[in-house]
Amino acid sequence: MLGLIEALIGGIIQGGVYAAIALGFSLVFRVTGVVNLSQGAFSVLGAMGMYFCQVKFGIPILLSVIIAVLGTALFAAIVGATAFVPAVFRLPVSNTLMLTAGLLTFFEGVTLVVWGNQPYALPTFSGEAPILLAGIRIPTQGLWLSSGSLAIIVGLWWLLHRTRMGQALLASAENPLAARLMGVNVGRMMVLAFALAAGIGALTGVLFAPVAAIQFDSGRMLSTSGFIAVAIGGMGTFGGAVVGGLILGIAGQLAAFYVSSLFATSLSLALLIVVLIWRPAGLFRAGAVQRVDVRVNSIIHRALVRLPGRAAIALGGVLLAVFGCLPLLPLPPGVISSLAISMIIFLAVLGLDVLMGYTGQVSLGQAGFMAIGAYAAAILATTHEWPPLLATLAAMGLSLVCAFALSLVTGRLRGHYLALATLTFGLLVDSLTVGLIDLTGGPSGLVGIPSFAIGSFEFDSSEQMYYLALGIAAVVIVLLEGGMRSSFGRSLQAVRTDQLAAAALGVNVPAVKLAALCISSALASLAGSLYAFQFHFLSPEMVSTPRSFDFISMLVLGGEGTLIGGLLGALFLTMLPTLVQSLAVYKTIVSGLLLVGAILLLPEGLFGRMALFVARRWTSGARGKE
Amino acid sequence: MLTSALSIKGVSRSFGGVLAVDDVSFEVAEGSLCALIGPNGAGKTTLFNAVTNIFPPTTGNVTCFGHALRDMEAASIARLGLIRTFQSARVFPGMTVLENVLAGGHLRTRSNPLAQMFYLPSARRDESRLRKKAEALLDLIGLSHMAEVAATDLPMGAQKTLEVARALMAEPRLLLLDEPAAGLNDTETAEIANLLCAIRDAGATILVVEHNMSLVMGIADHVVVLDAGRVIADGTPGEVQADRRVIEAYIGMEG
Repeated sequence: MLGLIEALIGGIIQGGVYAAIALGFSLVFRVTGVVNLSQGAFSVLGAMGMYFCQVKFGIPILLSVIIAVLGTALFAAIVGATAFVPAVFRLPVSNTLMLTAGLLTFFEGVTLVVWGNQPYALPTFSGEAPILLAGIRIPTQGLWLSSGSLAIIVGLWWLLHRTRMGQALLASAENPLAARLMGVNVGRMMVLAFALAAGIGALTGVLFAPVAAIQFDSGRMLSTSGFIAVAIGGMGTFGGAVVGGLILGIAGQLAAFYVSSLFATSLSLALLIVVLIWRPAGLFRAGAVQRVDVRVNSIIHRALVRLPGRAAIALGGVLLAVFGCLPLLPLPPGVISSLAISMIIFLAVLGLDVLMGYTGQVSLGQAGFMAIGAYAAAILATTHEWPPLLATLAAMGLSLVCAFALSLVTGRLRGHYLALATLTFGLLVDSLTVGLIDLTGGPSGLVGIPSFAIGSFEFDSSEQMYYLALGIAAVVIVLLEGGMRSSFGRSLQAVRTDQLAAAALGVNVPAVKLAALCISSALASLAGSLYAFQFHFLSPEMVSTPRSFDFISMLVLGGEGTLIGGLLGALFLTMLPTLVQSLAVYKTIVSGLLLVGAILLLPEGLFGRMALFVARRWTSGARGKE
Repeated sequence: MLTSALSIKGVSRSFGGVLAVDDVSFEVAEGSLCALIGPNGAGKTTLFNAVTNIFPPTTGNVTCFGHALRDMEAASIARLGLIRTFQSARVFPGMTVLENVLAGGHLRTRSNPLAQMFYLPSARRDESRLRKKAEALLDLIGLSHMAEVAATDLPMGAQKTLEVARALMAEPRLLLLDEPAAGLNDTETAEIANLLCAIRDAGATILVVEHNMSLVMGIADHVVVLDAGRVIADGTPGEVQADRRVIEAYIGMEG
């Protein structure tokens, strides 16, 4: 009984953290209509700032808190004004969502460069000894945390409902046009909301850091939990954020208490899936989220990248020749193995291009299918000694089954909820790869995975794996190109931009989405299997959710809807840290900056730009503009 | 009497207590060009959305070529041969003009995605057949020279005709057009009128929502007038024009 009460108290404390982060989400969502995936990173920035003020420079606690919170808010204001808010005005919601994923990576990169990758633990505010109340232990930092969360909730309510600035914020949220007519600078209000949410996040991080070691990538976990809390409660409602956070915190602690902490994440994710199926809009209905209506017309699209058939064949031939000859150059072995890895990863990005680039279905769960492919093939080939080829095919079959199951949840979802559901799927797979120790080897991973083989021919060098992946990629591209240039590809693209009009022309929208998801997950699964055979070793973080974000960066950087584009992105982001070892620490920050930059400045991607150039040359002198 | 392509019986649709369409019944004879007219806010588009189950009727029944449409998905309705366009031209962004028309041929595609991926001769023949047809349709609406342009770069009037061509690509038995002439100039309106007559003469049935009486009176076989959600007149253009209530509805609105 005591244990249960302590678990409940722990749940409330944890829930307070989630609620505070969820409030930051809700605030930005109400004012801008976008879920800011980088919200959790503000907590990390705040906590890191606090550590340096308090521990390094010995500044008193209260002053340190103020410096950390204001510093984070100021930094967020700058980023908000230069990247986030311009994107909100110019880009469709799904691209802005991707932009915030880029910001998350960027903030992680900043933290990594400034503070390194070790975990930081702040001293507690008032000693380590817990308070004993009728035999129940309550950690003192928990009291600080819950009172801090309460202060944030009350403070935000007061700010929104009792100050002129808050009224202007709410007005911008409910009707931006009317707010503008009344003289409210909506853009400035968006920056303000972004900075305010950052301040809330930083304060939460400062209070939270003493009980949980914080490191550069803790923001992902916090963002995800906050996002889930918001989705449970209902996006855009402040009450919903608080209730959602508390439910998530308590459910997690109870699951850890009754079942096992290894499955606590899985259970809270299962909770979310139930909510998504049962009440897709969350437990609380948002009062007035006008942004969706207002933004419905902002489907600004990248320039059309259309290579004439012959130009495409010529380009494909040249590329194949170039990549076929690459290993013949005197390259150091490390480079060859990076090339092989890039090529394997490209297969997963190819799949994502069909799903996201062509069909417009945002997926933050592509790494989940990669993990299924990697683990299923590795386990079958290692523990059960199946031939690698058969193991790979069986893994693809399993991935297709999982894709079908996922489509039952995601079939009706769009936009943010689709992103959330796929993210949940990815995290669920993550937690299973860590949790099912008997099967997966848990956090320490699987060793002794054989080389890939077809019959008796073993692909046991990086060079052979490179050619294998290149061959598969070439065949897959040729096949997909055939599909995309025909009726099938047109129905995918129709679904991407206008599901209603597509259905009115007889396109079976759910079937099209399922087909795209199947292609995408089969390719991710194949990439995962080859990845495991290439490394002869597999651990959860090799195929976990951060990979999904990498895939998106690669795809956007290379060019969505171009098939080949993803190769440039995959090569660039995989090879860069290998080629310039000393710069490896900058990989994350560069990757984040590239994604943000590509979304804002290069919507067609690198390959798209090149293809546009080639296409223009090819048809130069011919009729029409681009 | 010819058989009926579309039969609307006692259809009502309310939005939170407001009755936008109130007990509407009429028939569209097969092979005819029927116009649904009425002042702004009469419920014409709502009726369209009710027929195609985008906002299903609160009460009442719709049958198309003898099939009840209740609870049918939009795609299944299209498969019956009922193809509609939208009031605000909904061309597919991110696709060229030609691709937009081709997208309309979804239901007329005979090859499956696998055959397309493997460039099977059947799929390639199918694709070139569709392409020829799409090019012919673009020629018909005078947009051949714009085939490779992004559809969203077309002016609004051309986007509306493009949407009609896309619908024709599906070889509809019954075509529902929602204000195809809205925002068009007089020349373009005359062209649309010619196009509609040609489509009917080719054997398709058309139900067109139109705001503009003069366009419709010249070409329609049958006119249904809607005002405040109710049918106030139903007959030949001549009969409707002579109807006192129709004149009141229009003059009253404009005066």
